[in-house]
Amino acid sequence: MKLKDRTALVTGASRGIGRAIALGLAEQGAAVAVNYRSRREDALAVVKEIETAGGKAVAIGADVADPQDAARLVEEANRLLGPLNLLVNNAGVSDDGLIYDSPADAWLNVMKTNFGGAYHCTHAVMEQFMAQGAATIVNISSAMGERGWIGQSNYSASKGALNSFTRCAAVELARFGVRVNAVLAGFTPTELVGEVMQRDGGKSIKRQIPMRRFATVEQVASAALFLAGPDSGYTTGELLCVDGGFSAQLGVGRP
Amino acid sequence: MSETLIPTTTDYLSAVQAAVADALGIDEDEAVPEATLLGELGAESIDLLDILFRLERTTKVKITVADIADLLQGGIPDEEFGDENEVVNDTGLTHLEKVLPQFDRAQLTEPLTAEGVLGLFTVQNLTDLLTERAKAA
Repeated sequence: MKLKDRTALVTGASRGIGRAIALGLAEQGAAVAVNYRSRREDALAVVKEIETAGGKAVAIGADVADPQDAARLVEEANRLLGPLNLLVNNAGVSDDGLIYDSPADAWLNVMKTNFGGAYHCTHAVMEQFMAQGAATIVNISSAMGERGWIGQSNYSASKGALNSFTRCAAVELARFGVRVNAVLAGFTPTELVGEVMQRDGGKSIKRQIPMRRFATVEQVASAALFLAGPDSGYTTGELLCVDGGFSAQLGVGRP
Repeated sequence: MSETLIPTTTDYLSAVQAAVADALGIDEDEAVPEATLLGELGAESIDLLDILFRLERTTKVKITVADIADLLQGGIPDEEFGDENEVVNDTGLTHLEKVLPQFDRAQLTEPLTAEGVLGLFTVQNLTDLLTERAKAA
């Protein structure tokens, strides 16, 4: 139980990677605020699962793309669970398509949630995190934020922004005892990336991944747990790839 | 047997000196009471934040940069505090002499600008503000 007495907020935690992180944090002893935007039932199920296992959790609805809503989310989490000291910015959306085919503003909502959500929530917790002097922020990003991929321009740009924000926030907050890191997930079969996998069940992608398999949400979550907890005590501003070697490889990695 | 320890001004000075030394990476004995934080000690805005959050953690007294700005300007509107070039006028200087015991306009070698006001703030001034806030709490 490495996160006993810690209180966490996980955004977008009703399903996918966020859900796995919420469950993992609770398993390590943290009380968890499970944020959702529209999937209340799913979020309540996550809460129930945590409670059944003997943990403490609450579900809080909020759209982190909206700064006021994000601030209210943090306020409610504090009120219901006690002072937060762990934030996982996980909420993310995608709106894939060729730039040529997409509406000119197709980037806006993706940017508002994927980057804006992390910015808003970080902004909302920072005063109390800085005052405590012992808090962590983990941003769930993507290997896609460091490289290009056809049809993912706005998603990739939003994750690139999140990666830069991770480094800047880490540098600004380091002296206040707040660590900020990111997990750069590779291909992880969740609803978010459904479209990417559509063509042939992801076979052609799998062939390009050195480890020849996709990540599980638990594998991404365990990297997030490491960055959230005491084992990464001297690590900040780090972008930790959990991608089966995908971004370590140049091209297809062979002739 | 127990006794309640009431922090004295000396304790608050030590707390400020420790916070300043830690935030700026200097020795505590360099953080002398008369040293200006942003001027002589070279603190930048993030250093000042760091100092204030360190003090909050050690003394449980919260002081914000806005509190310091309020003390220095005393609620006097910008247009009454300085002239159109943001040079602090007689009203402003009189107020500063009231809130910063060490400040003496006769010692100014050049006109004081609004931007320069925060630069007058010393280790001792912060200690005084902290002591006053602690008493009020």
